[in-house]
Amino acid sequence: MTLAADQRSFMPALRRFRRSHEFWLLVVVIVFCLGLGLATDSFLTLQNLFDLLTSNAFVGILAAGLLVVLVAGGIDISFTATASVAQYVALSLALSYGLGWFAIFAIAGAVGVVCGLINAIFITKLRISSIIVSIATLNIFYGLLIFFSGGKYITSLPKYFRDGVWWFEYDDAAGVPYALNLQILVLAIVFLCTWLLLNRTNVGRQIYAMGGNKDAAQRLGFQVFRLNCLVYGYLGLIAGVASLVQAQLAQSVTPTVLVGKELDVLAAVVLGGASLAGGVGTVLGTILGVALLAILQNGLVLVGVSSYWSQLFVGLIILVAVSITAWSERRRRQSKAIN
Amino acid sequence: MNRRETLKLLGSAALTGVASATSTIAWAATPTMVTVVKIAGIPWFNAVEKGILKGAKDFNIDATMVGPANVDPAQQVKLLEDLIAKKVTVIGLVPLDVKVCEPVLKRAQAAGIKVITHEGPEQDGRDWNVELIDSVRFGEVQMQRIAKDMGEEGDYVVYVGTLTTPLHNKWADAAIAYQKEHYPKMKLVADRFPGADEIDTSYKTTLDVIKAYPNLKGILGFGSNGPIGAGNAVREKRLGKKIAVVGTVLPSQAKDLIADDIIREGFLWNPTDAGYAMVAVARLVLDGKEIKDGVEIPGLGKAAVDVPGKLIKVDKIMRINHETIDGLIAGGL
Repeated sequence: MTLAADQRSFMPALRRFRRSHEFWLLVVVIVFCLGLGLATDSFLTLQNLFDLLTSNAFVGILAAGLLVVLVAGGIDISFTATASVAQYVALSLALSYGLGWFAIFAIAGAVGVVCGLINAIFITKLRISSIIVSIATLNIFYGLLIFFSGGKYITSLPKYFRDGVWWFEYDDAAGVPYALNLQILVLAIVFLCTWLLLNRTNVGRQIYAMGGNKDAAQRLGFQVFRLNCLVYGYLGLIAGVASLVQAQLAQSVTPTVLVGKELDVLAAVVLGGASLAGGVGTVLGTILGVALLAILQNGLVLVGVSSYWSQLFVGLIILVAVSITAWSERRRRQSKAIN
Repeated sequence: MNRRETLKLLGSAALTGVASATSTIAWAATPTMVTVVKIAGIPWFNAVEKGILKGAKDFNIDATMVGPANVDPAQQVKLLEDLIAKKVTVIGLVPLDVKVCEPVLKRAQAAGIKVITHEGPEQDGRDWNVELIDSVRFGEVQMQRIAKDMGEEGDYVVYVGTLTTPLHNKWADAAIAYQKEHYPKMKLVADRFPGADEIDTSYKTTLDVIKAYPNLKGILGFGSNGPIGAGNAVREKRLGKKIAVVGTVLPSQAKDLIADDIIREGFLWNPTDAGYAMVAVARLVLDGKEIKDGVEIPGLGKAAVDVPGKLIKVDKIMRINHETIDGLIAGGL
């Protein structure tokens, strides 16, 4: 739970936060950061923070979108295919017609929304399980893309796009530059929008309610179809935006590279406390889930752990993190039962 | 003619008819060859496919190419199983993971299917492996190149596609062994990193490596996207003068990075020739020709053959640099 707005005093909210999944995840992340900060000179630097944000922006942005779908009680794994399509369409058009920033984001977003709405229509109108629909649409979107693109890379992107955003440059002690770039900017905006949507709007509350109990929500008169269109459309929009962020980072469009990353994103969101059963999940938790996975991979390289071992460590640490939160949850339930 | 004789005549006519029909079918049916590649739809394997289709025409084999949608050894196995069920004459394979593919290939061989691999010198369960480069020399040449740019001293790292991709690791082994022998002042500062098949992953790894090893002077990338991701990171951090990037790349993809001298030189073999060579070797095998050292591979020239090692090599290293890149891109690579 985030600190709810209607909480009258600060203390009960804090106490409630201390009992939450997010609190324990935060503890794990902080312990990690401190450990890595002590073990290496380079971990706790602004340079590293900017690098981390930049290279994990794609997964982070998608995680924010997927969180909304999970909270609404659905699941969607087609978003990587949606992103591939959006990226390819937007940047092909940009090359043919000389389009600018606004136009490419509008096109990629629109393509994403359309793909999301297709999912929403099948899931709500035909009441097919959302995972089946999205597995099917993943293959359809991706199959169409590979068919029409022939798998060709786009390697010569417009110059303004390759240059991207590079604001407030700063050089570290060794003279290596870092700056506020497109990746970090979009990541921040998307997390802010998602937080506003889930916590500061009426629709957000409806999404939580629908994810918690769909039948009850329907009886209360919620427009389930409209809500589903909103959440799957939102994920599609986010996927479109994320795809451009990724293309800018890779300096090219590769139709085959994004599909297959959906499980990384799902893992981050679920690690962040979102429930696959719906109704549960917060933006803070998702940020922490993405952060934990990002810090892990980054930290293992910085500490100098051999790449032959790194997968083992990633697995172990995820297991530890999840066990700590599960254990605290169990203890809380037990103490509640005793009282 | 009585009834029995008529029946006999009819019967034998029918029999010979059937027999001759089947024999003409067997005679006329072109052998089928399906090549399973690492991933479908990327430019590299599109170029391989071009060669396979050209070989199909030249050698009268019904040769085609398939591949999984993403880099996943299990999906390759599934495709191979389908091919055994379809009873193709020859299976071609560019393996992702030699151990995973081994049992299913042995089953294919047991079913009488010939197996021709490419990029799989370690693959068991094959009839022949075809290479357009000598794996050891390919690694050594790239080490020589990066050593020259590093002044034969300093820290370097090596990227491979995955830690089990057969050829990438063989090149890496050869390059590292060559460095230890010839350039004692150079130092491999970490175990090889995986992820060189993806731009994002090698970009991320490079950012981390630059911080973890501040004296880094060279990145050797095996796997077509490794040098690209590394090059993007090096360019962004403006370390192009300090860190030399060398490795396997596609010319069209590396154009900018080579023009800016971030990637000092790229190395490759021609994927279209590779696809063509696999079909050519399949034809030699089907014709029962003896394959020994110095055998002529149609269209590609003489090959070095290691008969007990089931290895056919045609030496065709392609260098990608300021002088050659425009010609290669114009040639569709």
